[in-house]
Amino acid sequence: MGAIKREPMFRRYLRFWRADPRLDVHEELAFHLAMRTAEYQESGMDASDAERATRDRFGDVNGVRTEVERLALDRHSRQLRVQWWDALVLDLRLAVRTLRAKPAYAIALTLTLALGIGANLAIFTVVNSVLLRPLPLADPDRLVRVYDDLRGAGANDVGMSVPELEDLTTRAGVFDEVSATFPASTALEGGDRVERIELLATSPNYFELLQASAAQGRVYSRSEWKPGFLGSVVISDALWRRQFGATDDIVGKTIRLDEDPYTIIGVMPPDFRHPGTTLSGDVDVWGGAGFSADPFPSPPTRARILPGAIARLKRGVTLEQAQARLNAFGAALQREFPNDYPDQMRWSLRIEPVQSTLTGNVRPTLVILLAAVSFLLLIVCVNLASLMLARSSTRMRDYALRQALGASRGRIVRQLLTESLLVAVIGGLAAIIALKLSLGTLLALLPSDLPRLSEIHASWQVLAAALGLSIVTGVLIGLAPAYYATGADANRELKEGGRTGAGSSKRQNRSRSLLVVSQIALSVVLLIAAGLLIRSFAVVLRQNPGLDPTSVVTGQIWIPVPNNPAANKYLVPEKQSALVQQLLERLSALPGVEDAALGTPGDVPMLASVSNPRPFTLPDESTTQQDDHSAKFGSVSPSYFDALKIPLVKGRVFTAYDNISAPKVAVVNEAFVRKFSSRRDLVGRRLSGGRNNVVFEIVGIVADVRENGLDVETAPRVYFSLLQRPTVALSVFLRSHGELQSTKDALERVVHEVDPDLPTFGVRTMIEVMSASMARRRFSVSLMSAFALAAALLAALGIYGVMAFLVGQRGQEFGLRQALGATHTDILRLAFRPGFVLAAQGTLIGLIVAFPSTRLMSSLLFGVSARDPITFIAVPVFLAVVASVACLAPARRATRVDPIVALRG
Amino acid sequence: MLHVDLEFKRGAIELLVLKAVSWGPMHGYAIAKWIQQTTDDALRVEEGSLYPALHRLEDKGFVDPEWGISDSNRRAKFYSITPLGRKALRAEIRSWTLFAAAIAKVIVAPQPSG
Repeated sequence: MGAIKREPMFRRYLRFWRADPRLDVHEELAFHLAMRTAEYQESGMDASDAERATRDRFGDVNGVRTEVERLALDRHSRQLRVQWWDALVLDLRLAVRTLRAKPAYAIALTLTLALGIGANLAIFTVVNSVLLRPLPLADPDRLVRVYDDLRGAGANDVGMSVPELEDLTTRAGVFDEVSATFPASTALEGGDRVERIELLATSPNYFELLQASAAQGRVYSRSEWKPGFLGSVVISDALWRRQFGATDDIVGKTIRLDEDPYTIIGVMPPDFRHPGTTLSGDVDVWGGAGFSADPFPSPPTRARILPGAIARLKRGVTLEQAQARLNAFGAALQREFPNDYPDQMRWSLRIEPVQSTLTGNVRPTLVILLAAVSFLLLIVCVNLASLMLARSSTRMRDYALRQALGASRGRIVRQLLTESLLVAVIGGLAAIIALKLSLGTLLALLPSDLPRLSEIHASWQVLAAALGLSIVTGVLIGLAPAYYATGADANRELKEGGRTGAGSSKRQNRSRSLLVVSQIALSVVLLIAAGLLIRSFAVVLRQNPGLDPTSVVTGQIWIPVPNNPAANKYLVPEKQSALVQQLLERLSALPGVEDAALGTPGDVPMLASVSNPRPFTLPDESTTQQDDHSAKFGSVSPSYFDALKIPLVKGRVFTAYDNISAPKVAVVNEAFVRKFSSRRDLVGRRLSGGRNNVVFEIVGIVADVRENGLDVETAPRVYFSLLQRPTVALSVFLRSHGELQSTKDALERVVHEVDPDLPTFGVRTMIEVMSASMARRRFSVSLMSAFALAAALLAALGIYGVMAFLVGQRGQEFGLRQALGATHTDILRLAFRPGFVLAAQGTLIGLIVAFPSTRLMSSLLFGVSARDPITFIAVPVFLAVVASVACLAPARRATRVDPIVALRG
Repeated sequence: MLHVDLEFKRGAIELLVLKAVSWGPMHGYAIAKWIQQTTDDALRVEEGSLYPALHRLEDKGFVDPEWGISDSNRRAKFYSITPLGRKALRAEIRSWTLFAAAIAKVIVAPQPSG
């Protein structure tokens, strides 16, 4: 046989993308059969005989085909695997060798990447645990919070009545289970002092609703329903450890809560948390109740005594369907009880997934931080890409040679990507280790009011994210050098003997410049985001809180509510009022105390507290203007406004004579006046509200207090006299010129002396309360600033790198110019210009990107527009400074080029 | 057709194929024809069985395939023998020769005495 004739090229191209072993087998066998048939025909057989003879001669065609196909396919995949692994091993060995040859470069790459990936992992860990991971409860998608709104009064989440709760369970038809959730304080006896703990009163089916069970003992259940409180409670793991020393015989023990005995029937697992709001901190004890006998009104009324409820949707019912059916159900209920649900109040039911009620308010912050930190990683990638690009320019000859020797483009790209992926994976591993080591510190940095804080941990999703980020960054930083390396003109590179030729260096300069421009653009976006947050923070800090927090100590007192009204020392308003008076007298008599005041818990400004707005009417206004009337109610003692230095605007504040026997009076804030009666003087007018629609006379107007934090607009508020409208939960305020710690101690001591059954808790200075209210904003500002500064630093490094390279390249030119008489200033200008052009281009692109996108973070801004001109001017100026600093050293080097040396070289 | 066991048959076909391609690259049909001509069709090999043999030899690295154009100007898969294949062929020939000689000895052996 002679030499084989080559297959035509076009056929080979057809097979370029993918060899098809099956097709090959088919073709091979077909060739054989055709040849044999043709031969038989030549020997005189007719077509069908020839074909039959061929088959006889061949044997079982299909059997052979199947067997050969199997052999060919096996071989094909074996070959692919072997090829792939061979190449990988080769590439890896080459990559390791290259990196080891330049350890400083390799370490710089890995550390920068580890930082970039690590920062991303840290934020992702938080985002994943808080926002993404479903609540650790069975079927959490079906858990909803049920809100009652009075849309007519503009009041959301006004609380629920006991009959309503029953109707929701039995008549609404969308829930499997509904349980009231009633967070409250309770006084735990048995320690050396009465301690206030967090109680969650629930319907008896609460644990069935959540499908949660106890770690020890059992939980209470629907079948144990009683009109009042069940005799049994379930405690948290934390309380068990803190209060009972984690003893084994806890189940069955009796504890006294608010003076009543209860049996502990179970301890919840450590990771069980009530999926909803509490007064302060995690729930310590769960108590089941029917809410329709003492201490609750019996028989139940339609008064909204329950702060809210959670429910489990029936399987298969979507949120939208459930909401639609609730709307219909609400309308039916209104028709049935027109007196309880007056038309103008527009009562309605609203459901929201439990998870979003828990974490909804931190979502914007976390999402923006995640976006910022991924921007930072992008900048890191660009930085490393240009670093690798610079490195690859010294290896151009290598690549050119390999290409000349027949290496395909793909092969070289693959080798470069292997190198960058190796670096990225090492960086990712370092990031994981760093995260593991620093998670504790990270958690301490988080604002303590972050929901689900205790659930934050590095899960497998974080590992997956680390792997994903490593791969993405590895590809990103390897692509530019790979693109550049394979575009090399082999001929020229080899001729130049390894010196970077003019043509390719121009190409390379363009790529590097492009990278620097994008780096600057990205940093501009980050800097603007950070700038806007910083500006907002500054505005927040400048806000007038409406009170003077210095030298004020505040705390709270819980007045126990025994289930038996007869046992309640403070059941009647007279007794409550007497307690208030006694406390005030004793507290004001403390040495150093200038003012002592009491109020309801909601009267502690900036303490995130649960307080529902209440509807009210202004009987002196025409009835057509009675819509949308709701405000937060609170009761304060006469000295409250003095203690907090809240200015009186008009009329008077309360006096000691506004007591239980005097006419009922109220004070409103300026926000109230703005919203409900801007034109008419409210002082002297009547306000009617509260459970029994009591009529109060408005006697004064006080200035607004930023009660929900400096960055929240003040809502309308009505203050009543604590002597006329006492409550079971008190807040205390002491303005003192004494030492703050001793004032705190004295506060607790006095309350204990007045009545040892009253627990005092949450004693803090007003400054601490205010500072805590800004923790989240402070957190996002500091993180964002850190990201932005890191970005600016990286951008500066990028500019510096390009400038140093350019100046080095143009050394000869600068020397020549100096020899021809150019001054230092001329050279400086020449050397500076390219850096500045890059910075300007990058800044411009960054501004164009930032301008429309900062709107996305407007929910995080306060008092600053998303297009705040000051930020949009300050950032470019800042970058100009950074860019000139980065250009300075290379430019100065340009002026120092010795003309003689430059010209000889 | 001789009735011999499968392994034996396979080994024989592989030997034939290796011998065929040892003269130069050949496609499957040419190999079949070569065997037919050389043995005067005495073996009457089922031509289909050549192909699994060729692919098994390819797996072992004894032959190296390449697509080319046949004398009749059609695309065909040509097999050439590899150095490894040549070595295997030599070994196979040796063992077949020894085997055949042994069989021959048996056939011509006289009746055992005693």
